Amino acid sequence: MAAGTAAAGSQGSRTFLWVSVLGLLLVVALPALFIVLVAIFPRIGSGSLAAPFVHLIDTLADPDLARLGGNTLLMGAGTVSVAALLAVPLAALRALFRVPGALLWDVLMLVPFMIPPYIAALSWIMTLQPRGYMEQLTGVNLGWLLFSVPGIMILMALNTFPVVYFILSRTFETVGARYSDVGRVFGAGPWRAFARITLPLATPGIAASLLLVFAMTIEEYGTPAALGRRIGFEVLVTGIENRVSEWPIDLPGAATLSLVLVTMALAAFVLQRWLLSRRDFRIIGGKPQMIVKRPLGGWTVPVVLLFALVSSLATLIPVLAILASALCRTISGGLRPANMGLDNFAALLDAGGSGLTALGHSLALGGGTAVVAGLLGAITAYAVVKGRGRMRGFLDGLSLTPNAMPGVVVAVGIILAWNQPWLPLSPYNTPLILLLAYTCILLPQPVRYANAALSQLGDNLEAAAQVSGAGANRAFLRIVLPLIAPSILTSMILVFAVASRELVASLLVAPIGFETIAVYIWRQFDQGSVGMGMTMAFCAIVITTLIPLALIAVLRRLSRQGAPGLHPA
Amino acid sequence: MKTGFLAALLALAAGAAQADVTIYSAGPGGLIKDLSAGFTAKTGIQTNVFQATTGKVMARLEAEAANPVADVVISAAWGTATQFAEEGLLLDYDSPNAATVPDYLKMPGAVAQGVAGLVIAWNPASGTPRPSDWADLAKPEYKDLVTLPDPAASGGTFTLVEAFVANGMTDVLEGLAANGAIVAGANKAALNPVLQGAKAAVFAGVDYITMGAAAKGETVEAIFPTSGTVVAPRPMMILKSTENADDAKAFVDYVLSEEGQAMVAKVFLMPSRTDITADRPLIGDLKLLPTEGAPAREAVLATFSGLFN
Repeated sequence: MAAGTAAAGSQGSRTFLWVSVLGLLLVVALPALFIVLVAIFPRIGSGSLAAPFVHLIDTLADPDLARLGGNTLLMGAGTVSVAALLAVPLAALRALFRVPGALLWDVLMLVPFMIPPYIAALSWIMTLQPRGYMEQLTGVNLGWLLFSVPGIMILMALNTFPVVYFILSRTFETVGARYSDVGRVFGAGPWRAFARITLPLATPGIAASLLLVFAMTIEEYGTPAALGRRIGFEVLVTGIENRVSEWPIDLPGAATLSLVLVTMALAAFVLQRWLLSRRDFRIIGGKPQMIVKRPLGGWTVPVVLLFALVSSLATLIPVLAILASALCRTISGGLRPANMGLDNFAALLDAGGSGLTALGHSLALGGGTAVVAGLLGAITAYAVVKGRGRMRGFLDGLSLTPNAMPGVVVAVGIILAWNQPWLPLSPYNTPLILLLAYTCILLPQPVRYANAALSQLGDNLEAAAQVSGAGANRAFLRIVLPLIAPSILTSMILVFAVASRELVASLLVAPIGFETIAVYIWRQFDQGSVGMGMTMAFCAIVITTLIPLALIAVLRRLSRQGAPGLHPA
Repeated sequence: MKTGFLAALLALAAGAAQADVTIYSAGPGGLIKDLSAGFTAKTGIQTNVFQATTGKVMARLEAEAANPVADVVISAAWGTATQFAEEGLLLDYDSPNAATVPDYLKMPGAVAQGVAGLVIAWNPASGTPRPSDWADLAKPEYKDLVTLPDPAASGGTFTLVEAFVANGMTDVLEGLAANGAIVAGANKAALNPVLQGAKAAVFAGVDYITMGAAAKGETVEAIFPTSGTVVAPRPMMILKSTENADDAKAFVDYVLSEEGQAMVAKVFLMPSRTDITADRPLIGDLKLLPTEGAPAREAVLATFSGLFN
């Protein structure tokens, strides 16, 4: 990202630049454009340009806006702090030391991605509220902590900190101990070497991942809706969702608030770019690098306990609460043996196959989105980091925009864009519209991951390839792609997990009669069958966790057989 | 999986091309599923169903306004029908099966599919005395143990608050707020804490949801308060933009047929037709609070949030 990046590696970026520009225009800019239009022209939904700007001014002049905006910033900042506190030490330990059971901890940290946030919030409510599972088992409840602003921050951090953990453990691993060893040779203590050398070199990863958490937090609906509404803590995204979901509908108001939200995320993004542009973080040169991890020694037990504590908070407790709700015949019956059984699981397999169909739909869509978003994301990040020209900043900003657009607003934008009567062919009302929606919502993930990986990659490798006669595209495919593949793969797993459980956009934009996992769960809740919904949630979490794990296992085997450059964790 | 997905895609594309009836319906999901299956069995006409909350249905309709997809819309708030009628979006149709539907459950362009009533949803295992009227929930026995759906999110709760404002009963709401009652989002979010026992009662619970939960074995009871309650008729409308009016009318006829109304009764909603019996108190058995003279929606909501924030 430093000035002067645009050297040898950039010739190949022209094709990628155009692929990325076209892809982003279609997937992101089009729905975003209609959001802007509906904010300005409130009647655009019926094809009229009447009463421009009236609504925009009304919404922006509403004194409520300052309160919603302030709460959003507070929640974002708080969640980022808690997530950093949880993730940075764990990631550093995981990357630089030999932590016993490292793979197990990785898997457990992956699970929070697979738990839909509204399900996580509900399972925490059912665990911690008075007479919840915790009180049924131990006699005490933590309802007072859960239904509070810090409670919301902690819960959201537990959902999002794995993003930081995975990006940073990859970053720290790449930084390795080599540079800090140099520092120690010159007399620095281990803490000083970490603080003055390793940590600063990891800045791109830290900034990118914390930005991602900030954007995810201010865009997330489930947790603040489930917890915040009860204590009168409203944020922009709940304000937006209410305007879209509660009759009378106020699409222009929702669009205007979304633009405020997007502005916030872009401001954070500009801050991140400014922080990164002041230094050069490229550390991967042509020299092969051994990843050497140190033993923990006397610290083994406390470190393992720390990993166990965090992963049980993030994964074990919510999953067990979901399982408990799935096993209970009635909610009011509680955790008594007489009230427990496999009835819900039997009903899920039995119910005319609609649950299994929904599962199939979601897995196919999740896989499709992972491939499309992963490729588009990698190409975009490459065009941004290694390319040149003014398009770079524009592309980077555009690729981040969906992260701050609430799912429900993306859905509205997509309907407005693709249900125009003059379109001869439209994916609207086919499953492809969901692929478009998911790709739009999740594109920021692969872009951020690839961006962080590419920022560490010097240009000399590509230059060497070109000197040796490889074309630009070949150099990308044979040199750059394998080097950033682990990061892209991690992000694709994340995309798969989130896409296969996305709720708010799916509910609005799903083709008629087409159910996904989340829509199925939502309908079960809506019919009062919390147990059935939780049963589906449990099965979905297990399946969406096992599929990426199987994939990683296969890739590890392949990489041992000699695919160069691929070092999955 | 991939072929299955493609097949589904093609089937959907083909399905959209045929002239089936497309229905957008608010919950309960089981009801609209049964109704459309029964309709197809009886008439051979295929249906496409989009089911969500009233708000989501309205949002999708508004976003699709340039190129409407739905033929029939069923919502849980009568106000949606009056608004659509004012905007001239509805096709006027007087179904022959609506003869025994009372006048206050129909209007030009809309007729009720069924009717929900508002109750106190009380958990008998909560260790609190059985409440019999709204005002009971403001007593010290229920301190911090009551939830309310948000009237901004729940049409039924809004109608009840509206009636309280119109009849000078806002002191009950004041008492509730002072007693630590919490406003908990939509109807389901208000009921769940009561089922687990974190709270004792929902003020302004929805009767058919509560009765449905009780029928599933949950410890919860729907209590019709002695001072009276309000009902929420669920309007069924045919959009004027439909290119499929005959089939849409046939669907409305089917929902209002004895068979269709029996399905409505099965999910504990009150049937719209007075000549259909149901295993629950019917609209004629309820004492209703009038809502005449209530101020506009914004003013009612402002009064409410003034009390609870």
